[in-house]
Amino acid sequence: MISWEYPPYIVGGLGRHVFHISKSLVQKDIDVTILTFTDGSSPSQEEVNGVHVVRINPYSLRYPDFISWSHGLNMLMVEAASAIDDFDLIHVHDWLTAYAGIALKHIKRKPLVATIHSTELGRRGSLRNDYERHIHELEWWLTYEAWNVICCSNYMLREVSGNMSCPREKMSVITNGYEGGSMGPPAPLVRKNYAQNGEKLVLYVGRLVYEKGPHILLEAASKLKHLDLKYLIVGDGSMRPYLVDLSKRLGISERVYFLGHVTDSELATFYNWSSAAVFPSLYEPFGIVALEAMGAGIPVVVSATGGLDEIVQDGYNGLKFMPGSSDSLTYQLNRVITDKALSDWLVGNARQSVEKYSWDSAASETEAVYHKVLDQYEKSSWKPAV
Amino acid sequence: MKPVLHITWEYPPYVVGSLSMELRNTLVPLAQQVPVNLVVRADSDETAEIDGMKIFKVSQSIKSSPHVLAYAHVLNIDLVRGASRAIYESGGASLVHCHDWISSLAGVYISSNFCLPLVISVYSTELARSRSLSTLLSMGIFDLEKHCLRRADVVVADMSLAESLSKDYGVDPGRIFPRGGDLLKVYNRWAMR
Repeated sequence: MISWEYPPYIVGGLGRHVFHISKSLVQKDIDVTILTFTDGSSPSQEEVNGVHVVRINPYSLRYPDFISWSHGLNMLMVEAASAIDDFDLIHVHDWLTAYAGIALKHIKRKPLVATIHSTELGRRGSLRNDYERHIHELEWWLTYEAWNVICCSNYMLREVSGNMSCPREKMSVITNGYEGGSMGPPAPLVRKNYAQNGEKLVLYVGRLVYEKGPHILLEAASKLKHLDLKYLIVGDGSMRPYLVDLSKRLGISERVYFLGHVTDSELATFYNWSSAAVFPSLYEPFGIVALEAMGAGIPVVVSATGGLDEIVQDGYNGLKFMPGSSDSLTYQLNRVITDKALSDWLVGNARQSVEKYSWDSAASETEAVYHKVLDQYEKSSWKPAV
Repeated sequence: MKPVLHITWEYPPYVVGSLSMELRNTLVPLAQQVPVNLVVRADSDETAEIDGMKIFKVSQSIKSSPHVLAYAHVLNIDLVRGASRAIYESGGASLVHCHDWISSLAGVYISSNFCLPLVISVYSTELARSRSLSTLLSMGIFDLEKHCLRRADVVVADMSLAESLSKDYGVDPGRIFPRGGDLLKVYNRWAMR
């Protein structure tokens, strides 16, 4: 398995996905080696929950930009693979390690499986320069070379199929999982440092980038000044300075806390305190954070897009609003904050809903994909014999 | 002897600079003496027999790259596809010989994964081209050249580059073979049998 993210290096949901799916695959007696990145602060080799982890440090070379950095990482991954014991199949996550996966597929003549967690076209909305086109074409190349392409939602299946002309016959939908209690015990934080008695907390968890829509939440917050609400913004990203400035311009800076990256136990505390969690994404392939919030027992308000639209049934296990509409979000957030009976109803149903999202079943479905691909491979003449 | 596997990004009819024609002048007579497989970038994946060599053409999978360094990396994935095909379809290779920095990476991958000796022919270096490493892009290309050259068993180069290859790139002078010399001497010494 090849992924640029793996704990302790986590950027988004991809790293958590790879951690959980690899651990669950090992529990099904599948031998998993992960090739991943390190900046030198993690061991270059170790075993984690039965998973062999090989970390590559790309900083022996200089790079002009992120694209070149990713290529350098992949280059060293391909070289390092020569020292790894024989393997039956290569599983790549996203374009960032497509290079190594495709090269190793041909060198070893072993089948390639790809999980596409998101796409450049989805993230950007359009392809405006050669950097974005290069990434888009790498994504296309990965889906072209893969014997099977796994997407985390039906939305992503349609996106990858449509934007990359990937045949649906070689695509699978396997949703992410949810592991209750995985965040550990809550951290001993003091609630009154964030909200006084009588004030309620609204939680946002996600990267501070445009496609996650944090600005939509701030706009809605400015329309709910009549309620005693405070907002906890967990996560970081390039949009943070803009959002800090926006909260000042909207007159809500006293109500909004930009917390940056927090530990899992701190996040567990924030879930315990919060009266609602809002996920206002404009683009969301799956939305693993929504599952975490639902499992933690707080009502969720999500934009009706991507995987969030599939996880949440409006009025049953959460509330949905029109993507990009702060008015629509304002209306739904007001409902869930002011209607205790509605909030309890949503929370009760949400707890039941998340039970169907388990890493064990995601691993079983992934194993089935592996068997299907290996069966096709065995019947083919494309083999490594020299 | 199993075929010597040559990897290049240009060979006639694809001509970018002087490398293409020089390579033909070198390889055609060489192919009379040792079996030669040549992997080259082309418009489609196909195999042909030309000039006494078996040519494994590979198409270009990615059309958009922000700069030459990114282009080189993705080009080499295509070249690896052709090189792997050449090895599997020809029953192996005795040695990998790459031409120019832009196609050396594929040789490094093939050499490390198939345990084959690696020869890299250097026609110029980033230091010689840019005179100084004044941009990050130039530094990135220099580092990539250095990375590949350090993995080569033999570096074929004009002796005017020998000092820089040794001093700036860390190539052991004993591993530098003069460009224009009899490559059969290199092959006879290093080729796997």
